Amino acid sequence: MRDSPEVVLTRHFFASLFDFGFLSDDGAESLKRALLGSLAVALALGGLLVRVFMAKYSELSSGPYDAYQQAALADHSFLMAVPMWFVAAAMGLVGESLFPNQLDFRILMAEPLSRPMIFGAKLAALLLFGGLFVAGTHVALAPLAALTMLGMFKAGSFVGPATAFAVSSALASFFAALAIVGVHGVLVLFAPRARLVAFSGAVRSVTIGGLLLALPLVARLPAADRAFAADAWWLRLAPPAWFVGLERWLVGDLRFSALAALAAIGTVGVLVVSVGSYVLLYRRFDRVTLQPAVSRRADASDRSLARWSGRAPVQHAIGRFIAITIRRSPLHQGLVVGLLAAAGGFVLNSFLNASGWHDPTETRQKRALINTLLWAPMTMAFLAIPAMRLAMWIPLDLRANWVFRLTEDEAGRAEVAAANLRAVWALAVVVPMTLIGPLQWLMLGPSAFGVLIVEMSIGWLLVEWAMAGWQRIPFTCSYLPGKGFVPHMFVKGFASFVFFSTASVLVLRISLARPIATIAFAAVFSGTAGLLAVLRARHARESPLIFEDELPTDVNPLRLNAD
Amino acid sequence: MLQARGLTKRYGGLLALDRVSFELHPGEIVGYLGPNGSGKSTTVNLVVGLLEPSAGDISLSGIRLSDDPIAYKRQLGYVPEEPSLYAHLTASDYLMLVGRLRRMPTAVLHKRVPELLRLLQLHDSRYKTMTAFSKGMRQRVLVASALLHNPQLLVLDEPFSGLDVNAGLLLRTLLRTLADEGRMILFSTHRFDMVEKLCSRVIVLSSGRVVVERRVADFARDGPDSLEDTFVRATMQPEFAPLARQIIDTIEGA
Repeated sequence: MRDSPEVVLTRHFFASLFDFGFLSDDGAESLKRALLGSLAVALALGGLLVRVFMAKYSELSSGPYDAYQQAALADHSFLMAVPMWFVAAAMGLVGESLFPNQLDFRILMAEPLSRPMIFGAKLAALLLFGGLFVAGTHVALAPLAALTMLGMFKAGSFVGPATAFAVSSALASFFAALAIVGVHGVLVLFAPRARLVAFSGAVRSVTIGGLLLALPLVARLPAADRAFAADAWWLRLAPPAWFVGLERWLVGDLRFSALAALAAIGTVGVLVVSVGSYVLLYRRFDRVTLQPAVSRRADASDRSLARWSGRAPVQHAIGRFIAITIRRSPLHQGLVVGLLAAAGGFVLNSFLNASGWHDPTETRQKRALINTLLWAPMTMAFLAIPAMRLAMWIPLDLRANWVFRLTEDEAGRAEVAAANLRAVWALAVVVPMTLIGPLQWLMLGPSAFGVLIVEMSIGWLLVEWAMAGWQRIPFTCSYLPGKGFVPHMFVKGFASFVFFSTASVLVLRISLARPIATIAFAAVFSGTAGLLAVLRARHARESPLIFEDELPTDVNPLRLNAD
Repeated sequence: MLQARGLTKRYGGLLALDRVSFELHPGEIVGYLGPNGSGKSTTVNLVVGLLEPSAGDISLSGIRLSDDPIAYKRQLGYVPEEPSLYAHLTASDYLMLVGRLRRMPTAVLHKRVPELLRLLQLHDSRYKTMTAFSKGMRQRVLVASALLHNPQLLVLDEPFSGLDVNAGLLLRTLLRTLADEGRMILFSTHRFDMVEKLCSRVIVLSSGRVVVERRVADFARDGPDSLEDTFVRATMQPEFAPLARQIIDTIEGA
């Protein structure tokens, strides 16, 4: 039984899901360890959440039952959202492997294996993979779920509500998984073959980016008790709320029938799309997977980032190489989008906390909101710059870097450094400022223009500082993680963040109040950045490009003895 | 002229190449033969400057690689053994990247790249990423990238690997014509037939040392003085007939 072809094939599909379709063997192995570690972290966090919610529920248990039930509804939406998030993230990451693909077709169909066996094994592997995340997150959150339901003893029943919660929560995770399967199913069946890989990578990046942006919203669900009480409109847009409606409907509470109906319609909808695309692919496996890819002209957007890279030949070549790699490599695109979205999520959370949007005059809330508006783009840039640097460090195909090693010259090194700088500047400074600029304009009026100029000059200075001495061509150098002392890096990073965000908000506040200060600050920061740019170019010419990452040569003594 | 003198390469305690010397003159195609692990790829990597020798030096047209690696590398084109290229680029993207890295004028690239792609029958696939390319197609892209800047020296590591018959014939004729025009070609391969048809001289390597260096015309067509038999003797290969018998016995056994 253990060695039957079905079991072997299922095991193969299951194991290959953990490289997420784009990791090397070493990367996949590290990821497996990281996933096991995160499971332990999830269990610990589950325990921590119980501790956090304990005080709330001990207070609620002595109050009226309605207040308790209202709070429990909001917490249940959180308890359902967390597994949904994890399952969606896991399924999103393996998006390209959700269906048997061309490689499976070419390798497996040549073996004495039937099509039902291949599809069956793939489905079984997916169920195991999804089930692992559903079970893991539910086990981690089970103590908290139990805590939220202890008060139901008062109403005389526990088993019924607990069963309703378990069924609804499992269905919610099932919905999240099927939604991702459905999107990829439609993509596999209907996307042109020439663009399938690009579309698939883009969907994966958008999924991960969207999920990271949704994190602050998930974290706020426990505070949504009033929204449930008022049957707020936005609950219809929040899938976890649908399944809370279903939970209530299952215990006979018809107040949230509309939400329950949405849960049912949503689940059936994604089930139909997912099963339908699986069945269609099953019947047209050869036609779909072996459809010839139609050539297409490179469109203008392929050159969008390359335009930033200037006219110097090597600079242009590297700029274009960076742009194409970020567009086409799922790993690098995912990293850039994911890390930028994480920074965006952090900023979004601050906006959700802010009030005073409609205050006509200068109030305390409005001042805090303006500070947040000034802080947001600088914070995003501060987080996005190291994130971009990390994404540019992860190698693509080390064997192919010989072409850069054969063509390296002194002037080219300076052009490489300039191209790197412009790419980081474009994605980590210009993008956040373009996203938040309209909001600043809305709140600050024409003064926002001056703020933008100072922000851009600070951004330039920050990028020059962060990229000084970075003598690599992105994606071509080996990467050895963990070269620094992690606690030291964490403390240094946190201190830098506090200093940078405080100082930049102060500078922008002053610029906002005095236009002359805008010019002075912009001149000082741009001048300093320009000076750093000259030094960078000189240093780059003299230092060879690095293609092999090295561990630091300095020895860090552990000082384990008393001396 | 390419001159390699006393090339030695050690990887830790392993001696991969032991005092290898050879010359390559304009108009010559030299075949570089040897069994796996004999040091062929190490020599190629040293000649193109991807590795630094532990001892010895290399010069091309009087420029020593150790003195001025940039000027040295400007004169050579390289086709690696594995079709190692950035497959997420299109063939056109890749050639433009290589051309710009070599500082070729954009106008020249815009003319030369499509023309090379057309001549190497890659024009129809020019907008496809090379992930969809066969090994032969990738090999043709690498040949185009090696020729793009019209180099004096071509270093080719198994350039016929994966090419179909027509592409192989085209490449053979192209290399012969390039040599006739005075370019130097160092051609590392496992294929005796290609060496016999294409090369003027052959160097055989075994365990990191040159064991045979002779003009191809000096080998007999068949018999003990043929290139193949000389190679087998010089590199101390085992008897193949008993080995083949053992393999068949293994698969036929219970």
